[in-house]
Amino acid sequence: MSHPVVPSDTTTPTGGRIFHPKAAEPAPVTVVGKQAWLKNNLFSSPLNSAITLVLLALLGSFIPALADWLFISAHISGQTQDACTGDGACWVFIKVWIQPLMYGNYPDASLWRVNLSLILLGAVLSSPYWLPPKLRNKVDIMLLLAFPFMAIIILDGRLLGLEYVSTAYWGGFSLNLFLASASIILGMPLGFLWALGRRSNMPMARSICVVLIEFFRGVPVLALFFMGSVMLPLFFPEGTNVDKLLRVWIVLTLFMAGYMAEVYRGGFQAIPSGQYEASAAIGLSYWQTTLLVILPQVIKVSMPNILATSVMLFKNTTFLMIIGIFEILSTAQNALTNSNWLGGFSTEAYLFVAVIYWICCFSMSMVATRIERKLDTSHKS
Amino acid sequence: MTNGTRPTQPAGSAPAFYNNPRFRALFYQLLLVIGIGYLVFLIISNTLANMESRGIQTGFDFLSTTAGFDILMTLVDYDATHTYFDTFIVGLLNTILVGAIGIVLSTIIGFLMGVAYFSSNWLVQRLSVVYVEIFRNIPLLLQIFFWYFAVLAALPSARNSYSLGDAFFLNIRGLYLPKLISEPGAGLVYGSIVAAIIGIFALYRWAKRKQELEGVQLPVLRLSLALLIGLPLLATLLSGIPFTLDYPQLKGFNFRGGITVIPELMALAVALSIYTGAFIAEAVRAGIQAVPHGQTEAARSIGLKDSQIMKLIVVPQAMRVIVPMLNSEYQSLVKNSTLATAIGYPDLFTVFVGTSLNQTGQAIEIVFMTLAVYFAINMTISFTMNWFNSKVSLAERK
Repeated sequence: MSHPVVPSDTTTPTGGRIFHPKAAEPAPVTVVGKQAWLKNNLFSSPLNSAITLVLLALLGSFIPALADWLFISAHISGQTQDACTGDGACWVFIKVWIQPLMYGNYPDASLWRVNLSLILLGAVLSSPYWLPPKLRNKVDIMLLLAFPFMAIIILDGRLLGLEYVSTAYWGGFSLNLFLASASIILGMPLGFLWALGRRSNMPMARSICVVLIEFFRGVPVLALFFMGSVMLPLFFPEGTNVDKLLRVWIVLTLFMAGYMAEVYRGGFQAIPSGQYEASAAIGLSYWQTTLLVILPQVIKVSMPNILATSVMLFKNTTFLMIIGIFEILSTAQNALTNSNWLGGFSTEAYLFVAVIYWICCFSMSMVATRIERKLDTSHKS
Repeated sequence: MTNGTRPTQPAGSAPAFYNNPRFRALFYQLLLVIGIGYLVFLIISNTLANMESRGIQTGFDFLSTTAGFDILMTLVDYDATHTYFDTFIVGLLNTILVGAIGIVLSTIIGFLMGVAYFSSNWLVQRLSVVYVEIFRNIPLLLQIFFWYFAVLAALPSARNSYSLGDAFFLNIRGLYLPKLISEPGAGLVYGSIVAAIIGIFALYRWAKRKQELEGVQLPVLRLSLALLIGLPLLATLLSGIPFTLDYPQLKGFNFRGGITVIPELMALAVALSIYTGAFIAEAVRAGIQAVPHGQTEAARSIGLKDSQIMKLIVVPQAMRVIVPMLNSEYQSLVKNSTLATAIGYPDLFTVFVGTSLNQTGQAIEIVFMTLAVYFAINMTISFTMNWFNSKVSLAERK
């Protein structure tokens, strides 16, 4: 192939021609832009177009009605159900009942103690982000493990010389949060212990752990709560009266431990045996290997599943209303049967509880997805 | 004296017996067994003492005494004069019923929504994401309450029920369906259904052999559908339609006749299916995503059609991931069906652990029987799914 002949009229000092590229043509409208997007994503085939039109028609009839009910015709001013006339949602109901829904029957004057515990929970959970890296490993675990007991001391108040508030008054969404976090925090190390037992070479320890794990995973959680409230009192010596919330906490912790043990089992399987061999080669003992080498990797690998299990436990705390614990759903049911509020506000009440739960659970699963994506090193197209 | 130690080791520094790992393992386990044994002994003696002081009987004699309470919905003959064992059976059947409905519906919803995630239609794909994210993150009990107290309680009274062709009625008391009553000669129709199912299995085997030997593909799905519908239809016509329909009719304030689906069952089944369906959709999505994209590309390059790629390449590989997840979702659906007790659907938990336990006080026996049932149901699901998994999983190189 020969070089192209340079036209003589545009010669340059170097003897060649200056190359002037043409301006790029805009991409065709069939490929980029709004029109192309609509064509490719909504109207790519007759069937797709039909589906799109049907869905749009449904949304078009549904969303305005929903928006009208939620916001436009909704009532927010007033203090009684008489304030709600017409078709819209009655947010007065939520406004009046917000304190029981959030705090249960906790005395007004001591509400700051619940708030303090909630702030403490937030601080403890976010501590990895604000603690200096040097302190993190040592302080963080201590803080986490200490949280349930600190919260109990603050909420109970007797040890601090504050007014005593019996657990019968604890309730609302804060109780869901406290019970879930307290049992997740204690269930995680207990589950790890069971998972270790399951992997152990000692046949007795292994079989005991297998029975525990399979029992707590196989039994409906509601049956566990029932056993906690009906059978557990039979197990203690006569006359001992174990607090109802404490029993629930024990049951939830054991339940969490069973599920966590299974999650860790998956994590253990992902650890290459070279890690154990290398630890043995540098002379680490069993517990040093487990706690310093294996545990951090197991936690890292199984973090998405740990979070998913935590979300499940958090959702399951609503089941406690069936055994008479005043958590948020049971407070909502109480409010709905209150003689001053019989106007049928169940949709508003459930929607409110659902939104609160959804925000908490969805943000937790977002965190799980982010971690999963960060750990995922496979090549995706 | 220093048997088994290396000769270079000076005598006297032999490892002490308490440093021998085998001895240590034995010692720790002995400690564990003694500890657990003591705990169990304590629990049993406390329980016996407590039961004696409360006057609770032990043993399974209560099963043959009269229960004396009515149950809202029974699949078998039952009234207040029946025994506690009959309440157990009634509850068990109701649990199995709601579990079966829930498993079928949640599978349908879950697969539809899981596949919708891969739709080329943006709205459909968004719909799948929104469905999964909303229903997965709201507690199941709340959803049950929503359907039961907010949706079904807002239905009209019996007089103003929604109706479809004077055969189906929906009102606040429940859903009323016509009932199929078989007359003499119906045995032929039932027999033909069985024959059709056997025929489909035979057809499937024959088609497989034919393909292996001759490379000819038969339209197995269409043929088996024709068999399943055609044969019973033919039998019905030949035997002179041996069925009558019992339509529900409004008499006084309520409907009589037909099949009644009580609102408790509807709310529970709908909530369980939608909630579990969201998890199944997620499992299906994960399963399909787990199939490497190169598989589809390779299949396309050897000239398979899109439907063939889905059926022969993607689905079999996705099933490996989906089936174990389905297994655990089905099990948790059955466990979650105990929430029936919150709205009063008479499942095993409501009837047996609720009412029967309250009346007899025999907590240990009743809880033991109930837990055994849930374990048995979950074992059945687990075995079935594992069998299915071994069928669908690919033969891998060992």
